[in-house]
Amino acid sequence: MGDGAARPRSCPGTFARAWAKAVSGTSYLPMTQAQLEALLQRLTERLAVAIQAEPFDLRIGQQVGAELVEAHIASAEGLGRTIEVIQLRLVRDLGLVADDVEDRMARLLATVATGYARALRDRTLDEQEAIRRAAMMARAHAERALRDSEARFRHQATHDPLTDLPNRTLFTERLSAALDEPGRGADRVGVCFLDLDRFKVVNDSLGHQVGDGLLVSVAQRLRRALGEHLVARLGGDEFVILVERTGCTDDAVKVAEAALAAVSEPALVDGHELTISASVGIVERQVAGTSPGELMRAANSTLHWAKAAGGARWVLFDADRNRRELARYALAAAIPTALDRGEFFLDYQPLTSLRDGRVLGMEALVRWRHPQLGVLRPDSFIGLAEETGLIVRLGGWVLAEACREAASWSTGHDDPPFVSVNLAVRQLHRPGLVQEVQGVLRRTGLPARRLQLEITESTMMSTVEEPVRALRVLADLGVRIAIDDFGTGYCNLAYLRELPVAELKVAGEFVTGLRAPATDPGSRTDERILASLVSLAHALDLTVTAEGVETADQADRLRAIGCDAGQGWHFGRPAPADRFLARLD
Amino acid sequence: MQRPDWAPDTIDIERPSVARMYDYYLGGSHNFAADRTAARAMMDAVPEAPLMAQANRAFLRRAVQFLADAGVRQFLDIGSGIPTVGNVHEIAQRIDPESRVVYVDVDPVAVAHSHEILSGNDRATAIQEDLRRPEAILHHPEVTRLLDFSQPVAVMVVAVLHFIPYADKPEEILRTLRKSLAPGSYLVLSQASDDGRGETGERAEAERVYRRTDNQLWIRSRAELTALFDGFELVDPGVVWVPQWRPESPDQAENAEQSVFMGGVGRLGG
Repeated sequence: MGDGAARPRSCPGTFARAWAKAVSGTSYLPMTQAQLEALLQRLTERLAVAIQAEPFDLRIGQQVGAELVEAHIASAEGLGRTIEVIQLRLVRDLGLVADDVEDRMARLLATVATGYARALRDRTLDEQEAIRRAAMMARAHAERALRDSEARFRHQATHDPLTDLPNRTLFTERLSAALDEPGRGADRVGVCFLDLDRFKVVNDSLGHQVGDGLLVSVAQRLRRALGEHLVARLGGDEFVILVERTGCTDDAVKVAEAALAAVSEPALVDGHELTISASVGIVERQVAGTSPGELMRAANSTLHWAKAAGGARWVLFDADRNRRELARYALAAAIPTALDRGEFFLDYQPLTSLRDGRVLGMEALVRWRHPQLGVLRPDSFIGLAEETGLIVRLGGWVLAEACREAASWSTGHDDPPFVSVNLAVRQLHRPGLVQEVQGVLRRTGLPARRLQLEITESTMMSTVEEPVRALRVLADLGVRIAIDDFGTGYCNLAYLRELPVAELKVAGEFVTGLRAPATDPGSRTDERILASLVSLAHALDLTVTAEGVETADQADRLRAIGCDAGQGWHFGRPAPADRFLARLD
Repeated sequence: MQRPDWAPDTIDIERPSVARMYDYYLGGSHNFAADRTAARAMMDAVPEAPLMAQANRAFLRRAVQFLADAGVRQFLDIGSGIPTVGNVHEIAQRIDPESRVVYVDVDPVAVAHSHEILSGNDRATAIQEDLRRPEAILHHPEVTRLLDFSQPVAVMVVAVLHFIPYADKPEEILRTLRKSLAPGSYLVLSQASDDGRGETGERAEAERVYRRTDNQLWIRSRAELTALFDGFELVDPGVVWVPQWRPESPDQAENAEQSVFMGGVGRLGG
């Protein structure tokens, strides 16, 4: 027996060491040199058995080949070197003796190579399968991650980051879907616009962090109270609720009431207990014939009605009211063009002396000869003009036109009446008012003393310096300054001390009381107020004109009180200037 | 889960992956045609490439054995690649079944394959992250779940640093990792080096081959590698050609410079 067989099994012999050296570096072997040699010693002993076994056992060589691969001696080079070293050294190193050793060696090598190749092929296929499976899993993972990030992106694009409620985009999508879905034309749908009342006060007084906290709290409460309905935040403190498949308007109203109740629950935000109310505009109608934009607009307008009515309430959309407002809006939009086209003209109403019936002055009253609507009185468009700021242009036109016409009144009259023109707040606050008035007087040739500017008491409420200075300059020029509607505003008499006022025009409300018999207690109260106003005005060297004088009896009583002049139907309804100029003759 | 911004949108197996090329050098079949084509091109330019990979893998095995013998029971293997034979967890858990291992790789296929291999092993896992984001690695929930940074951890950065350009500041990456480690922790580092070789056609060709993958090759000198151990005490024999690092027999260290990889192990004192 050779030295291999004589040694203990665990101790590698010459052949095993030579084998180990031969296969080193053919592939990565995850073991130490000693471990490798021990392994190969074990396999060497199997080979020794195989080459001598009678009959020859194919399985031993095949198992050795497979075990090599299993031990990661798994490469073409590993097999080549193994065959080489077995062929060259096995018999010699182990001192083996067999009858037909060459035949047996050939068969042994064949079985080792077969077992090795078979195992290597299986291993290769297994590894290929594993890496393909890994690639598939990685791809599925990457696609899922991409889908998740798309879903997250979609969520971000359709939700409000503060409250996580759906945003306008998602709401509009859902509303469009509710309206456009086939077969839903006969359904009804409701939209509630909700806005917190005086939310700005929370932001301004407690800071935006508390404001945001309140919005989050309101959002949570709305979501909880209206679970089945879509609640979205449009921005700021504006929310909107979609009420699908309503049976009647009352269904939408119930939702609005639930929303108002949810909002009004007290909220604890950052240690502040906050109670807030809201306003809701409701529109509810049949799906057929409406559009998302129209519904949103209608709900929004209705919300403004609720706000204007004082808040803490819901208001239902009213088609007639909406039409009127749209008409008003259209009218306001037409003012600039109407000015360009000369559609405005002036009527006048005389301010008549109660002493001798002489026409002292005439108040210019603007009229609009609207191409479709006919002649419009100021109450149908002045408010609009003031809201939109168009009053500055319109007022400027009135001033210029009134002065132009008044300049002509002196023809043939020794003491022609002054012209009285209303001045809006915005006109008074505009820098350059003095220059504008001066320019008009210069262009028209009207003496300053024949121009009276009427301002309301509320105009003087603000104690801004600039308008006061402008009025003083105008008064110094000789322009008369009159306080219009005296006694109806917040009567702060302090301004009478500050301002160069020439005249008070007492509001018609007081004069109305004089129509009742003098024995009526209410009538006597009004008469006493008037008498006090007159004596106050006279004490300040102001003249007093009573507005709204409709009867001769009123005129008599005013005269008895000492009132200087009167204005009203009793003295003449508004008309072109010519009609009153004729009286001067 | 969130897709990291550096991760690819899709898995493209038509593009060679350094992890699968490395597997091919080691004699594995966890690779695709594109990987084999690139690996063969590399072997045409640098015929020793498989030997280099094997030598580096053997260094990893000896280093893990050394660390386990030194009592380390936690391993963070960054740039672990395709888990072929002789994984860190196999070595470490053979010594102590309680040893914990987290593999980190940027290659999603390598990570998916690791998950498959590690299924059922609740003390080892793999995450997809980038060595260039050390904070993300350290704060990854799987990392914090398995590894206790109040105890020694061995951080393995083996055969991956040569894919990190100077612009990505490898020294800062390693500093960040070091700062999270407790005394008694270790850093294992190896990467392609040209010390003793200088500029050769082979090096240029190797760099050219790797430009076709997602990773360019950045060769560093022994001095540069030694400097990267800043804060650690180098274990004997310091930064050497990987076959020279504690070989099992003297003949294993012959012609060591042909291995191209240099490496070392540093210990965090204190």
